[in-house]
Amino acid sequence: MRKCKPIVMCLLWLLVMPLALLAQSRVITGKITDATGGPVAGVTIMVKQSNLGTISDADGKFTLTVPAGATGITVNATGYKSQNISLEAGTAALDIKLEEDAARLDEVVVTGLATSVKRRNLANTVATISSKQLSGIAPAQTLDGALSGKIPGAFINSNSGAPGGGSSVKLRGVTSVYGNTQPLYVVDGVFIDNTATSAGLNAVTVAASGGAATSNQDNPSSRVSDIRAEDIENIEILKGASAAAIYGSKASAGVIIITTKKGRQGKTSITVSQDLGQIRARKLLGVREFTADRAASLSSDPATSEALKQQFIDAQSAGRIYDYEKEIYGNTGFARNTILSMSGGGEKTGFYFSVSSKKENGIVKNTGYSNTSVRLNVDHRINDNIKIGISSNYINSSADRGLSGNDNAGVSLGIALSSTPSFAELHPDKDGNYPNNNFAASNPLQTIALMRNNESVNRFITGANIDITLQKGSKSNTRFIGKGGVDFYNLQTNALFPGTLQFQAVNKGTSIQGFTKNLNTNYILSLVNAFTPSDKLSLTTSAGITQERGDYNNLLNVATQIISGQSNVDQAGSLTATQFRTKYQNDGIFVQEEATIADAVTLTAGMRFDRSSNNGDVKKYYAYPKAAVSWNLTRMGFLQNSFFDNLKLRAAYGEATNVPAYGSKFTSAVVSNIAGYPGSIINIQKGDPSIRPERQKEFEAGLDFSVLKGRIGFEFTYYTKKINDFLMLGSLPASSGFSTKWLNAGDLRNRGIEIGVNARIIQSRTISWNSSVNFWRNRSLVTRFVIPPIPQGSFGYVLGSFQVEQGKPATQIVGLNGMGVGVLGDAEPRFQMSTYNEITFRNRLSLRFLMHWKKGGQNVNLTSLQNDFGGTSADFDQVTNKLGVPDGIYRIMQVGTTADQFVKDASYLRLREIGLYYSIPKMPVNFVKGIRVGISLNNYLTITKYKSYDPEVSNFGTGFSTGVDVLPYPATKRADFHLSFDF
Amino acid sequence: MKKVIHIFFTVLLANILLLSSCKKDYGNLNSPTVEQFLNNATKSELNNLVSGAESGMRNNIALYLDDVGTIGREGYRFSGSEPRYVTDLLGANEGGLSNSNFYITNPWASRYRVVKNCNILLQAVNNSSLITAAEKAGYAGFAKTIKAYQLLLNLNLTDSNGIRIDVADPDNLGPIVNRNDALAAIAALLDEAKADLSGASVAFPLAGFAGFSDAGGLLKVNRALAARVAVYRQQWDEALASLNASFFSLDGAFATGVNHVFSTGSGDQLNPAFIPQNQTGEVRVAHPSYAADIEAGDDRIGKATLRNANASLNGLSSNRDVWVYTSATGSMPIIRNEELILIYAEANIQKNNLADAVTAINVIRKGHKLNDYAGAVTQAALITEMLKQRRYSLFYEGHRWIDMRRYNRLNQLPLDRPADDTWTKFPLPVSEN
Repeated sequence: MRKCKPIVMCLLWLLVMPLALLAQSRVITGKITDATGGPVAGVTIMVKQSNLGTISDADGKFTLTVPAGATGITVNATGYKSQNISLEAGTAALDIKLEEDAARLDEVVVTGLATSVKRRNLANTVATISSKQLSGIAPAQTLDGALSGKIPGAFINSNSGAPGGGSSVKLRGVTSVYGNTQPLYVVDGVFIDNTATSAGLNAVTVAASGGAATSNQDNPSSRVSDIRAEDIENIEILKGASAAAIYGSKASAGVIIITTKKGRQGKTSITVSQDLGQIRARKLLGVREFTADRAASLSSDPATSEALKQQFIDAQSAGRIYDYEKEIYGNTGFARNTILSMSGGGEKTGFYFSVSSKKENGIVKNTGYSNTSVRLNVDHRINDNIKIGISSNYINSSADRGLSGNDNAGVSLGIALSSTPSFAELHPDKDGNYPNNNFAASNPLQTIALMRNNESVNRFITGANIDITLQKGSKSNTRFIGKGGVDFYNLQTNALFPGTLQFQAVNKGTSIQGFTKNLNTNYILSLVNAFTPSDKLSLTTSAGITQERGDYNNLLNVATQIISGQSNVDQAGSLTATQFRTKYQNDGIFVQEEATIADAVTLTAGMRFDRSSNNGDVKKYYAYPKAAVSWNLTRMGFLQNSFFDNLKLRAAYGEATNVPAYGSKFTSAVVSNIAGYPGSIINIQKGDPSIRPERQKEFEAGLDFSVLKGRIGFEFTYYTKKINDFLMLGSLPASSGFSTKWLNAGDLRNRGIEIGVNARIIQSRTISWNSSVNFWRNRSLVTRFVIPPIPQGSFGYVLGSFQVEQGKPATQIVGLNGMGVGVLGDAEPRFQMSTYNEITFRNRLSLRFLMHWKKGGQNVNLTSLQNDFGGTSADFDQVTNKLGVPDGIYRIMQVGTTADQFVKDASYLRLREIGLYYSIPKMPVNFVKGIRVGISLNNYLTITKYKSYDPEVSNFGTGFSTGVDVLPYPATKRADFHLSFDF
Repeated sequence: MKKVIHIFFTVLLANILLLSSCKKDYGNLNSPTVEQFLNNATKSELNNLVSGAESGMRNNIALYLDDVGTIGREGYRFSGSEPRYVTDLLGANEGGLSNSNFYITNPWASRYRVVKNCNILLQAVNNSSLITAAEKAGYAGFAKTIKAYQLLLNLNLTDSNGIRIDVADPDNLGPIVNRNDALAAIAALLDEAKADLSGASVAFPLAGFAGFSDAGGLLKVNRALAARVAVYRQQWDEALASLNASFFSLDGAFATGVNHVFSTGSGDQLNPAFIPQNQTGEVRVAHPSYAADIEAGDDRIGKATLRNANASLNGLSSNRDVWVYTSATGSMPIIRNEELILIYAEANIQKNNLADAVTAINVIRKGHKLNDYAGAVTQAALITEMLKQRRYSLFYEGHRWIDMRRYNRLNQLPLDRPADDTWTKFPLPVSEN
């Protein structure tokens, strides 16, 4: 259950009814069931006109102490219609049957920092993901992966298949180019950090030239992946400024509000779950089948050619032809996940406690992911007026991510593989010595065996909230609500490349040790007044202040010439250290007024003032307004007895900001030493001392209705979102000495539609089928751009590149087209669709699946190019081109003339998750309350014409330019077996 | 109710006041800013800029050598991860050089970054009251000399496409000037630096200027560069005059000169042009014509050592590694006496002092275990001989392509594949348009 529900319910009923609390009380017990007779757990039962309440347990049972004089109770649960039940004198036991609410009109949704509203009166589309959808179908390895396909309006793209996650989440289009494009994650009121910290692999891969130890091609994971999906009760997604304006300076890319599980009054329930699974590559590309002639053709030099031919013949006769791709990526990783959770509580205090541990191996040897998490959430009512809630989470996660993606030193696994033919001998001799790979700069088998690329995190996230009723009256009540918390982690990156590696001939061993400390704190203090002059009108006024602070400190040591067998950075002949710090403080002030008229019309208006230490002017407050209206026609009494049982029109407008990145106002001089003399050289990035935050203005309007007694609900939404003064690292003429400068470069716009249908297709005692289908599309357009268009975010026109340009989509891909430079594609999908279905038989057997269709959207696929170039692509020798030469050669011949062959449609239809679960009816022993078993498949079926490991890929990590494909860690699929016991 | 509203506003007001009073500006936590240098810089701050400039000259220098060396058919850069070394740079598949690709954008930007550092240094020196006039002149002379050298390297790439000279104000850059004007501006800058250095005092340490790190030494380096610029401008008298004021010596060591130096120290760089012998995947190999065209007995064959196996890629092949940069901490010449001797020869050939030219050429030949020049003593024959000596003496130091271009002989460079081309110049980077 979401934690705000009791608060909201008590608030609502405080508004509606006069206070009449008397001293005598009695105890009521009851059981809550659904239409099919099955118990419903997690239902909130509140005494009317009070904030006394409880939550039903796993059997649907509850016990509630009711003061004498109470007139009734209210019953609320996600997915069911709310009920008001009046209490007759002497009622001691209740059986309550809930009606399902496919359109989820009674769901309570957050609309402000301290206020919420029922979905039926909501002016925005707020997507929600339930616990079941998140972790109850076919759980992904990490939370970011578990969001894929579940948020209408989002373009979620996984960077690679490397263990530990890493995804880009764009809500309603790209909202910034070089500013933050990723949504804000809020866990129980704590703004958590999602910085991707590079392990300094660039020191070895040289993916970005210039000698820096880090680059955006180092493929780090997202920090949000630390959070355990199993602890999450639900997720709400505010997709743009119109819904998220009240979150201010961090909300422009949307807000993902995560609420974790809370304790329930009643018997303590203990659940132990065990998942066992296996992880395999989703797809392998295959390798070129060599013949003596093909081996000879790898070199144009007659002598070399002859030698290669002989090498092939020798290898073949000795049976030493290998499929190295399979050897490297074709392993099966074993996965286990154990969770113990406990929840319970008394009248005043509820708790939820969980311990979970997972360990998963990757498809590449010596890669994998582990996560151990401990969570304790406690809610306590000090008295009738004061409630506090504390959530705390410790996480230890560790990811061994291998070495993949672009590099310019020939060291990453994919690059090395791409030029290694099947007749090369890479296996170690009997003493374990690996031979040098004569076809590449590294021997990938040796690299896998000897290298290490580990990220390990120790993280504490602690949040607290307090709710004090300051004043209670018959028509008005006033509360103080405070929320805040701390997110602290230490991240250690450990990349080790011993001197025996083939590519360490010059550096004789490289050890890159990174230490990162990050502390985020935030608080929201608000006063909320609810005023109900009459039955027909209620007013909620809220005002308050917010502050967020961040302090990030990354120390990266690159040691080379390391002493054999050592990894400590002092055990080395050469050591280069870099330190990078950022610090910010954002302050906000907000006021918001919400009016509900006749429970049918809701009007909201609010204003937020923000300033940030990252802005050019640190003192200046920027103002961001919001306003919204929703009009429920059926509640108004119109359309009574018509086809519609609920029809709502809504519109919302809001503004939000995205503050400049730390340091964008400085033109700094970076260190560049020579022969022991300390040197300062001007940074290639020019700062802008007057940099302003980018401002997003979003308008959305929609129509929601449900028909057939709520069995089918529809939601239509149109939005237009303008980003003014978007932040950009614009190119400068390099002759200025700067390559880029921070500036507010122009305006861009996203427009789109979202259509959602929720339906209970079948509902009977034996079978029920709930289904939801979502369709969404977004179009972006750069409406103003003050600097000349420059290719960026990829590898230039020859290979296909992004280019921000006035009058063009923000994510267009341009490149050589045979006649010059032209548009070749756009990373934005034409549309996306997803459907989630749950079919339940006799309340015991449940089949759940999630399909996701992404139509259109191009990637820059350089994986095939690399394989062609290395002469190893599986279809190298096919002849389908007009010149009659092998396709591999033909494709290479196109390089420099056209980039069309690299810019490829990355559409897919994917059965993301499917799971079959069964609750065992007869318990073997009576202390076991329930046993569930299940099997699930994640990512098992994908239909795509895209020719690489996976259409979801990003060499450049999260951010603007996703979809560039350079020999990534292949995407994976997984199969799991689930077993859980309730005690 | 009244009381509550009262509390409400008090709290809100208190908080707003509290907030307003604690505005935060954290400054730059990671490095100094340009403003700090421009505000009465101390000697050690100025010295940091000097070392930054000297250090920055090495950025992308290997790529510069590969650009010039590949198009000049001195060698190939084979890279499993970067096809464009053997496609674009050699003109494969009738493709062209792109104005957005790394081979021009990266070295171009790195050179101008050093120019920027020199400009900041000049400005900082001007604004500083903590140094003497003679010291100011020392900084200025160094900054202008380095600036001129960096501009020259970029002009070598873009040639008749020109470069930008006036780049002091990033928001108001000067025009792109053509090759001749650019060379004139570079020569003028060197002359200004010469004037500064005469009577200057050098208060800063230099790393790769051993023997030339005082004002007199810097002046000699300045004139050596001026001699190079003069032959590019075909000003033969000027070239000889500059040589006289430089460290030119017919019987001096060939290696005398100034260098980029490298070390494993913190924040320092390793020689990026060093690749161990017999590597695979990432290799820099000599063009087969290097060994094919060399005279028997020439010890400069040691700059292209035999590999234990051929390296080949994309229709190209070689059995010799480029072995000019033989260690990760070995130095890389900026300008050295061997080039000056050849400039002396060239200027004398052009001035028809053929005997002096032959003397100089024989110094080179003798130094590389060859017999004296026995060919025709005519201008034309000696030019060919001089270019040949430059080819072998200055192998993979960034000269051959430029030399062949100066003498309109690019068509004499070998083409290895049917569709290959020899480029005359790089396009201006797309950002300059």
